[in-house]
Amino acid sequence: MKSLLVANRGEIAVRIIRTARKMGIKTYAIRTAKEPSALYLEHADEVVDFIPNTEGIPEFLDIEGIISLAKANKIEAVHPGYGFLAESPYFAQRCDEEKIIYVGPSADAIYKMGNKTIAKQLAKKYNVPLVEGSAKNLKSVDEALSIAEKIAYPVILKAAAGGGGRGMRIVNKPEEMEKMFNMASNEAQKAFNDASIFIEKYVRKPRHIEFQVIGDKHGNIVHLGERECSIQRKHQKLIEEAPSAALNESLRKKMGEAAIEIARSVKYYSAGTVEFLLDADNNFYFMEMNTRIQVEHPVTEMVTGLDLIEQMIRVARGEKLSFAQKDIHINGWAIECRVNAEDVQSNFSPNMGIIEKMHLPAGKNIRIDTGIREGSEITPFFDSMIAKIICYGVTRDEAIQNTLDALNNTQIKGLRTTIPFFKALLHNKKFRKGDINTSFIDTEMKSLFYTEPVEELLAAFMATQDFANELKMDEDSVVDYNKGQTLSPWLLNKRLKSL
Amino acid sequence: MLGKFIALSKAGKKFKFELKKDGVALYNGERLNVSIEEEDGFMYLIYKRRKFAIEIGEKNQNKYQIVINGVAYQFSIETPISFRRKKFLQKKHKDIGFEPLLAPMPGKIIEILVEEDAEVKEGDPLLILEAMKMQNEITAQRAGKVIKINVRAGDSVMKDDILVELGN
Repeated sequence: MKSLLVANRGEIAVRIIRTARKMGIKTYAIRTAKEPSALYLEHADEVVDFIPNTEGIPEFLDIEGIISLAKANKIEAVHPGYGFLAESPYFAQRCDEEKIIYVGPSADAIYKMGNKTIAKQLAKKYNVPLVEGSAKNLKSVDEALSIAEKIAYPVILKAAAGGGGRGMRIVNKPEEMEKMFNMASNEAQKAFNDASIFIEKYVRKPRHIEFQVIGDKHGNIVHLGERECSIQRKHQKLIEEAPSAALNESLRKKMGEAAIEIARSVKYYSAGTVEFLLDADNNFYFMEMNTRIQVEHPVTEMVTGLDLIEQMIRVARGEKLSFAQKDIHINGWAIECRVNAEDVQSNFSPNMGIIEKMHLPAGKNIRIDTGIREGSEITPFFDSMIAKIICYGVTRDEAIQNTLDALNNTQIKGLRTTIPFFKALLHNKKFRKGDINTSFIDTEMKSLFYTEPVEELLAAFMATQDFANELKMDEDSVVDYNKGQTLSPWLLNKRLKSL
Repeated sequence: MLGKFIALSKAGKKFKFELKKDGVALYNGERLNVSIEEEDGFMYLIYKRRKFAIEIGEKNQNKYQIVINGVAYQFSIETPISFRRKKFLQKKHKDIGFEPLLAPMPGKIIEILVEEDAEVKEGDPLLILEAMKMQNEITAQRAGKVIKINVRAGDSVMKDDILVELGN
């Protein structure tokens, strides 16, 4: 493989390019009209322009457009990153047809695991435990009600083609069913163009534990340990860690083997993630398999020392894995914070705007994955991620402390971010003990953002001082050349800022 | 301008300051030692030897949003005279009992769940707003009567647009 088209943007494009270049592969990035001067473009060896299609398909979902870019520029391989394109079996298939190396699993594996109903049938066939529910898609509210009756409330409705939390609704009692059924299926229709939903038992207080697997085209599959992603809001992950405080060696072995079993059921190759729910009694249930690199892959890289993008490229080239299960060791602890442009104080609503000024931390235990820089704009076109701050520690406590230090040393001016949330979480006693589950945010956090008592007073003083200065400026609108001699630092600062 | 000021927080908390000559500031009659520092384009307040990253988020006349360590606080700054006037007006406003429900984020209205003149309880769902591909239930922040619905299904709204007006 001599050349690689990165069919994605943002931090993951930067991430893929970094490894590909290190491996001596010429990288191509796709420039779009929505962000023609984005950071990821500067990292690539070559930049090709996306040619808008007549149907108005978004850039990184335009399968034929991306295929023709690869062909026109004689690029050998394509990496889809994460997101909808990476979840499309059709894209993988089209790459095969056009003799473009697809850096990812087979179209068949993407299709089977992408369809949750098929995925569950496979898990059942290979005796991997599942949460009970409807084997097929629901036909009506009545059907949902009768299954819910059988498996007992609470139940959860999920989009068959879903992912990322969209098209999911929890139903606590029969009276809520109709409303929730309609909301879930509307959302599914919108997000995936497929309104079909299914129902299953809702496991209370579960932890979200996922296993990273990597397989080659020669039938070898190895797991790289787990990631804990239990801290979620509306089924969106906010912070991830590896390993999990809930697992011991024997449970890790059991779950890892189940993950490999799932991967083997679709002859999986490339990097993939098998997601489980783990209840308080250490029962685990298969949820789904993500057939792509994931946002939170860096924590696994930190504790295993492997470069997952490199492994994906090697596998795509047809190489055998250079390690076996016994060679994989988990060293230390890693935590990733997804710093998003969201206003934690108003329900994590997206906070669009321009990054006026940014200082990201650096150090030997810190890794930053970002696709933006000062002056970048967070737009409604793409996701609201600013950066992933990934910190390492020998122990979990040390990783938590290093993460707090890194967050305290991060400054982003111009918009609100999720940093105050992470500080509140990392200070939480139960979190620090590792006592978490997927409803932690709703049930265990008094405040979703970290503040110190004195901060409100200081903020009040700042506002008062600035207001007084404004009034003074109005009074002083007549130029007085002697004024500058007694300029207060407040006024001076204001003037500096307005230069 | 020097003199007495009241910073009134959104939750109604009062911070009384007096600004004197030579940059001396009093809080509740006691001297407040705060200094400001600028470093690499960021502004910091130094208080009791600790550094707090601070920025003026928004300001509009006497309304301020101050962001300190990433958390925003809203204040209106009043002089003793404007404060008395504000209190008087607030009382009048409360008697009418009208309260607007603002869009918490930009998005698209998917469905309206109530009709005008309907009586709602606090927490009742009023409409569904889709933003960032998620459907969000917007609920009544208080009990009352739906006086007016300003949006229809399919409308796109900006943050802080008035969606529904609630009254007694």
